[in-house]
Amino acid sequence: MKNVLMATAATLLATTAMAEVNIGNPMAMTGPIPDLNAPIAQAVDLAATHINDQGGMFEAGEAFNIIRADSACDPVAAVDAVTKLINVNGVAAIVGPVCSGAAIAQAESVSIPAGVVTLSVSASSPAITSMEDGTDLVFRAAASDAYQGVALAELAMANGMMDIAVSYANDDYNAAIAEVFVKAYQGMGGTVTANEAHEPNKASYRSEVATIGATSENLALFSYYGSGGITLMRNALETGAFMNFIGADGMLSDELIEQIGAENLMTSTFTTSASDSSTPSFAAWAELADAAGVPASDPFVANGYDATFMMALAIEHAGSADREAIAESLRAIASGPGVMILPGQWAEAKVLLAAGFNINYEGAAGNQDFDENGDVAGNFSKSTIVDGAWAAELIQ
Amino acid sequence: MEAYVGYFLYFLSLLTVGGIYAIFALGLNVQWGFAGLFNVGIVGFAAVGAYTYALLTTAGSTFHLGGFGLPLPFGMFMGMALSGVIAGLIGLICIRLRSDYLAIATIGIAEIIKLILKNETDITNGPRGINKIPRAWEHFSETRFYTDWPMSWFGTPENWEAFFDSLPNWYWQPLFAATIILSMYVIYRMLERARTSPWGRMMTAIRENEPAARAAGKDVTRRRIEAFVIGASIMGLAGALFAQHLRLIEPTNTFDPSKVTFLVWVMLITGGSGNNRGAILGAFLIWTIWSASELVISGGIELVENIFSTLDPSILQTRAGFLRMMLIGILMQVILQRYPGGILPEVRPASPKAENDTREPTGETK
Repeated sequence: MKNVLMATAATLLATTAMAEVNIGNPMAMTGPIPDLNAPIAQAVDLAATHINDQGGMFEAGEAFNIIRADSACDPVAAVDAVTKLINVNGVAAIVGPVCSGAAIAQAESVSIPAGVVTLSVSASSPAITSMEDGTDLVFRAAASDAYQGVALAELAMANGMMDIAVSYANDDYNAAIAEVFVKAYQGMGGTVTANEAHEPNKASYRSEVATIGATSENLALFSYYGSGGITLMRNALETGAFMNFIGADGMLSDELIEQIGAENLMTSTFTTSASDSSTPSFAAWAELADAAGVPASDPFVANGYDATFMMALAIEHAGSADREAIAESLRAIASGPGVMILPGQWAEAKVLLAAGFNINYEGAAGNQDFDENGDVAGNFSKSTIVDGAWAAELIQ
Repeated sequence: MEAYVGYFLYFLSLLTVGGIYAIFALGLNVQWGFAGLFNVGIVGFAAVGAYTYALLTTAGSTFHLGGFGLPLPFGMFMGMALSGVIAGLIGLICIRLRSDYLAIATIGIAEIIKLILKNETDITNGPRGINKIPRAWEHFSETRFYTDWPMSWFGTPENWEAFFDSLPNWYWQPLFAATIILSMYVIYRMLERARTSPWGRMMTAIRENEPAARAAGKDVTRRRIEAFVIGASIMGLAGALFAQHLRLIEPTNTFDPSKVTFLVWVMLITGGSGNNRGAILGAFLIWTIWSASELVISGGIELVENIFSTLDPSILQTRAGFLRMMLIGILMQVILQRYPGGILPEVRPASPKAENDTREPTGETK
């Protein structure tokens, strides 16, 4: 009797394992950035819906499942969440962590030792480029801050700012991008008159502004609008310490216009990683996203869709949900040569792969060709105030 | 079969993290359970241990000072030692403060330590932290180990290579978990010995009635500093093990007081402060609840979806993380309501004299 039960249980386990492809998706559901995270999670689910509606995985049409976990933007939670995904849920690959610290910790602690591929949605830290020793298991669908820092430095030079003061929030994201910016800007011949960190979430930044205010008319501000960036900018405007502002995507929001007023932001420019909206890929994505009610242009939402779609393509290309073959397949489907596949074209891709053709996925957020470190080059846009609202223009 | 290996590995990870938290809780038990020192700066000592270990043992890097690539046990020992030294200096200044004032002082010190780690960018890589921290046992399959002594005494490099190839890629995981459980057990035995010794009884006397202990001629200040330093070095060791487990440490999220200080306090209070077994039980219990609740809740959501098929599942899924925190909070309330003294309350060792008087082996009395 016992044997019969055991055999039944084993068969059940085996059949459920056969009939589905499971992908782990640790997202920052709680923690410091749930509002940024929510539309990205919607985009991940949208990609899964498209895949399942257009025939599912492999010949048998197996279901493509997203198993979501909470990485809370925190190394401790991310390591725990990914341990469960890999060991208990037995996922084939990780599409995931939103924050860089969480992504690095889960990769080094869990997924690389287990031989599981990670494709991060939005981890942008330059440290991810150099973190692997001889393995090829970590990829990301968002551009490194190293690129955005350089783009911003070029923008500052193009705007004729020959000297600049730098103030950055002392967190991993803003400190990293400020460092890249300073290096690139100095390399182009600019003078950095001050380079100071500020602690996030303070009630007033008058002393910080006063310290660096006398040195230059221009301020490069790296901060999150929600955790002190707006206050610092208001203090800088009130005291008249700075005339011109530039910054990265942490500051770009409509909240800034509401709090500070469009008329005071006429001299401000902020870059953000952006999608080139003139490409057919973006047009295809925007149509799909609008139909599903997902905000197509919000930060990293397109990257979330791309990452999930590419992971599914890679597994389809590998022919099975075995963990070993996925990394190689991921490179194969993302870069040319091959037939171009746009967001949402799952049925087409499936037919081509079954017939043995090469495909090249052109993502909503960019071309998504991985370099040898598993990084992608991104597009950036600059946003300025036009008629009281942010207007973006592609710069790279 | 593979599924069972997965469950086994998850069980090992529960043992690993639970064991690390148990070491934290044992350290806090020396300070609070034995000596009544209200330390709310656990996260500071954890960070000192973790950063010392990371800087000493990590391979050379351009991001931070060093890494010096020193042997891992040396790194762990130095983490312990430095944490103890810092606790000693703090103790000399602050230990005379009454309990709630000591609490404020330790919060402040923990924040100072975190701010130093965050702002001394040249040494610690600032808010971006240190990664590639080596983990015990994981690196023995690398060539540089088995071509050198002492491993080369036991086999040729070819033999070692064949041996490591025959092992599954998670071979280090049981060994790492065993190392942590063993460290925890050794600390537990040492603290049990201390607790039942005259030193332990003196600690209880100081905690319960300081003027009386002073009147009896005990050097109260010195004993309190001793307990503070011993507890802090144990926390330093736990911090070093924490760094090994995570392999990336950074000052903001890794050493968030709500996830270290608060959680360790909950573990000790739930398990029973003053009782070393209680500290260990509390740590494993709370961590298992914390970690496994995610699986339980996602299972529950699936069930709800299947029953109420008209409901939009995404509504529940986006709230699962918050639901989990709420359920954990409620569960802790229930445990604390049900067991006010902790699940395993403190048991005082009987003094040898009392045993002689009653003439019967009463063992332990309340």
